[in-house]
Parts: sequence; C-alpha cells; structure tokens
Amino acid sequence: MKRSVPLLIVFVIGTFLLASYFFDFTLPGTSITLKQGASTVNNWGVIITAFAVGLASINLLRIHGAKIINQRSGWINSAILILTMFVFIIVGIYSRSNPDNEAAARLFSNLFNYAYSPFSATMYSMIAFYVASASYRAFRMRSLEATLLLSAAVLVMLGNAPIAEQVWAQFPVIGKWLLTVINTTGQRGIAIGVAIGGFATSLRILLGFDRGHLGQGD
Amino acid sequence: MWFERLQNIDRRVIYTILLIVLIAPMIKPIGIPLSVNSTTRQVYNLIESLDPEKDIVMMGMDYSVAGQADVHPQAVAIAKHLANRNIKNIMVSFVADGPMLAEKVIGLLGDRVTYGQNIVNVGYLAGGESAIKKFIEAPGSTFINDHRGKPLASMPIMAGLKDINDITLILDFQTGSPGYQDFLRQLPAGGPLYAAGIVTVSVPNVMPYLNSGQLAGLLQGLRGGAEYEVLIEEPGEGAARMDAQSLGHVVIVTFIIVGNLAYFGSKRKGKAHGGGDKV
Repeated sequence: MKRSVPLLIVFVIGTFLLASYFFDFTLPGTSITLKQGASTVNNWGVIITAFAVGLASINLLRIHGAKIINQRSGWINSAILILTMFVFIIVGIYSRSNPDNEAAARLFSNLFNYAYSPFSATMYSMIAFYVASASYRAFRMRSLEATLLLSAAVLVMLGNAPIAEQVWAQFPVIGKWLLTVINTTGQRGIAIGVAIGGFATSLRILLGFDRGHLGQGD
Repeated sequence: MWFERLQNIDRRVIYTILLIVLIAPMIKPIGIPLSVNSTTRQVYNLIESLDPEKDIVMMGMDYSVAGQADVHPQAVAIAKHLANRNIKNIMVSFVADGPMLAEKVIGLLGDRVTYGQNIVNVGYLAGGESAIKKFIEAPGSTFINDHRGKPLASMPIMAGLKDINDITLILDFQTGSPGYQDFLRQLPAGGPLYAAGIVTVSVPNVMPYLNSGQLAGLLQGLRGGAEYEVLIEEPGEGAARMDAQSLGHVVIVTFIIVGNLAYFGSKRKGKAHGGGDKV
C-alpha cells in the first residue's frame, strides 16, 4: 500500500501529461479538454514546489534546532543560520505585506545587496583560485589524450581573452572553431544519449520498474 | 632541483599572483580592445529590429547572485539598450534571486524608464520548468501583483500581453536550471524568438542549440556583457572586469606552460641519469 498508491499516482499523472502532448479531446463526463486538464495538473506542480520551499525551511529548522539544543560541534554556525533565515523571512513577509512601506522594502533590499549578495559572490569567486591551482597541477602532457585536452583548454581560454587576441589575431578564430565544430559534435552526441537515457528512465519510472524516487522502506 | 620546484609551486604563491592580477586592473583599468562575437551582434541586431510601438520583450532574470559577476553585466547592458529604444520590457524570474536582481537593473536605468509603462518586474514563480510552462500558457494572468506588490492589471505595459505570441523576443539570463533547455522544450513552434545570456562555463553545452538555430542569439559570460557594452557605446562594469578576467586567463595559461616545461625538463634529466619519471 505504501508503495502501490504512489506508483499508481505516478502512472496516472505521468500518462495523463504525456497524452496531452499528442492528443486533445473533451474528457468524458466533464466540459474540460485533455490539454486544460494537463494545464491544471501542471499548476498543482507549481503549487507543490512552492510548498516544498516551506517544507525545506521546516526541515532546516528541525535539523539545526536539534544541533543548537544539544550544543553539538559547530552549533554556533547553526544558530547564525537560523537567525539569518528568520531575519530574512520576517523582513521579507513584512515588506511584501506592506508594499507602501518604503523603509521595510529598503531594509530587505539592503540585506540582499549588502549581506547575501557579497557572501554568495565570494563563495563562487573562490572557485577561480582553485581552478588556477588545479589546472597548473593537473594539466600535464602525460599522454596524447591529455595533450589534446590541454591544448584545447589553453586555446579556448586564450580565444576568450582579449589580451591574447592582441598578441595573435587567430586565437579567437581557433577558439571559436573548437567550440562550434569539435565541441558541438561531442555535445550533440552527449545530448542525444542523455535524451534517450532520460526517455528510458522516465518510462521505467512511469511503469513502476524504477522505484528509487520512493525512497527506502517497504 | 629547479624542475622539481617549478612542478610543485606552493598554491599560496599561485593564489597571491592571481589575486594581484585580478585586483590591479579593477583599480586601474587597462582598456584592452575587445572584438565583438557574432552571437552577441545577433542579439544586438534583433533588438535594433524591434518596433517600440508594438513589440514586447521578456527578460528572464534566471540567474543566481553567485553567478552575477558573469551574467549581471549582460542583463544591465540589454536593459539599457531596450530602454534607449523605448521597447516594453517585462522582467520575469523562475529563480528566487531573480526579482531582487531585476530591481538592481531597474535602479541602474534611472530616468530612461517609467515603471509600469515600459518596464515591470513581475516577480518570481517557483516550479522550474512547470512554472515556465504555466507562464507560457497564460503570460497575462500568471502573476496578479508585481514584485513590489502592486496590481499588474492597472499597468499599461501589461495591457498588450494576453498570449505568449504577444511577446516578440525572450532574452533569458541564466546560471543553470531552469534555463535554455526548459524554455526550448516548452515554447510553442512559431512562438517568440529565444536568446540567452549564460555563464562562461555553460557555453560549450549551449553550442548545439545555437548552431541548430533554436537560439536566436547568445551572450557568452562576462565577455558577452562587455561586448554588448561596446555595441551600445556605454562601457560599464563588464568592460572594466574584462581586463581582470583576461589577465587571469593569461596567468593560468602561464602556470600550465611552466608546469609542463618543468615536467619535460625533469623527465629528460631523469632519463639522462638513468632514472624514471619522478612526477
């Protein structure tokens, strides 16, 4: 029962949405068409996703709340996380419910622009340093394959750097050729493979052969 | 000995050199000349061909704050071009960070736009591809209020938007999912043209869609933004950051070359002494 009902829901909804791409007719006993019905089901999906955000917040509160109460290692980080989450939620809801209150809107905007934004951008920017160090260590011409990979990476990188273009005007031309010809050929093959794999997996899920999405348990 | 050392340069040395090379041009820009990619020019020509009287553009603000260094200059340059041409611009977000980034873009436009008349930030809709599908099915009624909480029905810009075909061009700025694949799967055949602004690392993945003509144009990372600033003759943060990125690339390539020269040097030396590869 615990598995049969979700599997039935997946089968019915999945088949319904799939059918709406190929057919359109008035559903028996109703005044709505198949496409309209599929559109309503899609709207449910949007609403469920919105609820999932709320559910994630509750989950975050539960896990980190327990960590704070038990004073486990790193509990101070959890406390900062919970505090920040509540500050954003309260200020966000207040400013949204009072659209004429400019001070609240400004506070939310400042939190976003001067706290969240720089922190988030900093985390992402640090990748540049790791990439530089990792490229220096990993890109060695140890074999033909490694040499090809290294040459392509260096040429595309130089093709994208205006300073290299000033040294030799052909760098962007070579970089572009690698991207639009060599890369596209490979990417197209990967895309087709992924599409076929995705179709096969979807079919397995729809027919109940693949049950990984149901999680553990009976 | 030297070859061994050059193969194992301390990562702190690499970090410091890269940091200096990235910061210096931001403090004092060099102004390295920049050529314009054909995919950027395609987007420019598309916007130039629009009619301010009847055409509506949707700007998809689907990039996260983390990737804004790469994509935000593109969005700002495009919004400036649309504002300069008085083209109606509806900003929609399928990523939670989007509406706030849209507000930042609107703030930079100043007196060039009148909110509600030629620009609007409708806000965020959760749901990824499902949300995109919903918007495409009913763009005029998906959002009731804008991001600022004001009713959209009272805004003149929304008057002409009933169907997805009322939108002439979708310009989607993205850092991941939802992105170009979600839009291309859901947009109807013969519907609005679709162009994208993406992070540099995604460029190889997008190329097949560009070559097939499914994408009407493409802005490629920070360079795409900088190129667009050149086209509209308004150099901004994209052009300023491009010097830093350019020098950063040169430093990385230099370190790769040094590492390989040292590798081959030590290999030859090892063979001369009868030893093997010690790397």
